[in-house]
Amino acid sequence: MLLPFQRGPFRGRTSVSLTLISRFVEEYRSSTPNKLKVIDAYLLYILLTGVFQFLYCVLVGTFPFNSFLSGFIACVGSFILAVCLRIQINPQNKRDFLTVSPERAFADFLFAHTVLHLVVVNFVG
Amino acid sequence: MYPFEGLFSLLVLSMVLETQALTPTHHLTTTDVARLQAVLSQPFTDLKSAYYSVVGLSKLGILVADADETCQFIKSNLDPSSVESLFYAAEASQALSGCEIPVSNDTRDLLLATVSEDSTASQIHQSVSALSSLGLPLASQEVVSALKARISKEDNVLTIILALQTASRLSQQAELGDILEEIEDLAARLDDLSGVYLQFEEGLETTALFVSAAYALSDHVDMEPPLKEDQVIQLVNSIFSKKSWDSLSEAFSVASAAESLSNNRFHVPVIVSAQGPAAISHSQPFLRLQVTDVLCQPLSSASVLVESASTSSSKSAILSQAPFTLRDEVFELNFMASQPASGYYQFSVAIAGDSRFVANHVELKVKVSTRVAINNMDLSVVDKDQSTGPKTTRVEYPTKAKAPFMADSHQNFAMAFQLVDETTGVELTPHQTFVRLHNQKTGQEVVFVAEPDSKNLYKFELDTTERKTEFDSISGTYALYLMMGDATLENPILWNVADVVLKFLDEEAPSTIQAKTLYTPKPEIQHLFREPEKKPPTVVSNAFTALVLSPFLLLLILWVKLGANISNFTLSPSTFLFHIGHAAMLGLMYVYWTHLNMFQTMKYLAIIGSLTFLAGNRMLAQKAVKRYTYTQKARLTAHKAGPQTKKLSKEPLAPISKNLFFLGATE
Repeated sequence: MLLPFQRGPFRGRTSVSLTLISRFVEEYRSSTPNKLKVIDAYLLYILLTGVFQFLYCVLVGTFPFNSFLSGFIACVGSFILAVCLRIQINPQNKRDFLTVSPERAFADFLFAHTVLHLVVVNFVG
Repeated sequence: MYPFEGLFSLLVLSMVLETQALTPTHHLTTTDVARLQAVLSQPFTDLKSAYYSVVGLSKLGILVADADETCQFIKSNLDPSSVESLFYAAEASQALSGCEIPVSNDTRDLLLATVSEDSTASQIHQSVSALSSLGLPLASQEVVSALKARISKEDNVLTIILALQTASRLSQQAELGDILEEIEDLAARLDDLSGVYLQFEEGLETTALFVSAAYALSDHVDMEPPLKEDQVIQLVNSIFSKKSWDSLSEAFSVASAAESLSNNRFHVPVIVSAQGPAAISHSQPFLRLQVTDVLCQPLSSASVLVESASTSSSKSAILSQAPFTLRDEVFELNFMASQPASGYYQFSVAIAGDSRFVANHVELKVKVSTRVAINNMDLSVVDKDQSTGPKTTRVEYPTKAKAPFMADSHQNFAMAFQLVDETTGVELTPHQTFVRLHNQKTGQEVVFVAEPDSKNLYKFELDTTERKTEFDSISGTYALYLMMGDATLENPILWNVADVVLKFLDEEAPSTIQAKTLYTPKPEIQHLFREPEKKPPTVVSNAFTALVLSPFLLLLILWVKLGANISNFTLSPSTFLFHIGHAAMLGLMYVYWTHLNMFQTMKYLAIIGSLTFLAGNRMLAQKAVKRYTYTQKARLTAHKAGPQTKKLSKEPLAPISKNLFFLGATE
């Protein structure tokens, strides 16, 4: 027989998710190499920039619509390219990217960004 | 030069399409002849213009006013050493009476010497004419041979025309047969324009000179020129289609052509024109025709005959072989004596009296007009249901019915009348027979057509219910007018017959008719330019700009916290070059945004990009080599150290990754 204060197999939903999150954060902090954390910080920055742009559009209006699109696509594109870079650099994925060295991944990242910049600047108006 | 294109359609219509001969469509009227005379009478400035004026006027049959003064002028301007000058002087003095040019032996010798194969045709012409006018002897046979030689050398039209003119001054014993044949050859060179005009491509003057030369020579040798009647008429059309002349020489050529066509022995074109409009009525029963030659001189010797006169529609002949009588140089015929019905008649007129007459059959369209009378004008009001008989009122023209008539939903208004010719009593059906109802108050008017039945009795009926849309259902008093007109009626009629009071069932308030606002200026349309979109207030934009830029600060903070640094920055030229190139590319992006277009950007980007690529490639290769050697070293040390350092070998990059960063500056 279980006493009320004993922990049983059934737990509250919020406590489950909280435990999950704390474990995830702990795992992230310890096992992720610093390089990847740098890139993750960059990803967060891009994400926030995109969100704030979208917020402006929702609240105030789409007046220079082309500018909004250009900015938003810049954020989305940068996010995607940074994610690609992160995947390719991650040493755990080394087996999947045997032909691609981290330098090569970075060079690709730069080239793709140049093209993205060209398109975005063309469209921003 | 010739206004052909504009007149083409007119001429096609006026051309007689049957197999009858042509009649001239263009001819000089008396005003044109007067104008020609005025042009030729202009005061002359030199011997050449004096020649044209004096000789031209003499061809028109007009003598120069002050002959002595002219003679003096000619004598003083004469240059005895010039053949041309002698020619002008000789011809002009010949035209003036009592003007003698003194001739010296040298002059005669000069003129005779010019008659040779080596002189041009115009020189030969001028010298021969001068010799002939001055009464000096010349050797005709020599002239003929010189002319023949000239023609064979220069085959142009003007040469041959001058040869013809020259030949007409030679003695009749000379052999002019060859030159005479040239007329036919020349005639073949004329251009036929749509069967109406015949002319040389060189122009009016050449054609006119040809005509005068050909007839001069034909008269001289007394042989009919090989020109058919139609060709003569076509030449007349060409020469006399132009009524104002550019130069004195052109006017002179037209005058001499007119003279030769009126006075030669073979062909005299006849010009027939009706005096005034060809319309006959009881007040004017005579059809008057003017019959003249091309110089508008009446041909009194002619006898004019109507071969047949028939109505345009039925073609039954009213007249046949009726002669015109000559009165004051005008031929007239009393057509009304034959009591023709009103309408249009086709007259075929023949002009006889001289075998030389050309184009002496003419077709004319004559209109006979009459006066109309209105008989038996009966106005009646008829009950729709035929319960009571109609009340008829007779009205006489031009009086008006005394009482107004009523027409409403139960009664119709009817009108019947007959139109007859005043004199003959024959029933007429004019083109326009209208009944007009005019509302005096509102100014509205409605017009109906009255139509005749099979017995030529005109009827008009007004049913108010049927016609209410035309009247806009506006009741009131309408004045009734009868309007009648036709081209053959001399008295068109507008007769206020009666007043009619119309009552419509569902009446609307009579609205005054507005004056037509169709042609007044309309209200101006103000163009509204597209409103620029409303921009949010600057405060809001600035606030959000700051918000959007704020994550960058967060990024920097996080990076500092994570320990990102540029301690691995290798100092080598390729690194510098790469960074500079990369910064330049970003700068180019900014410049592209502000100043450039895509093409210029691509150009610069290609240059900077390739440099950056090469530098970056080298730099990254160096880094890769560095990393590789480092990992190799690490592995080697780990292997040497033994299995307890396995953890290290598993993640060789973990401690290094803290320091080994590509760059501090990522995008």
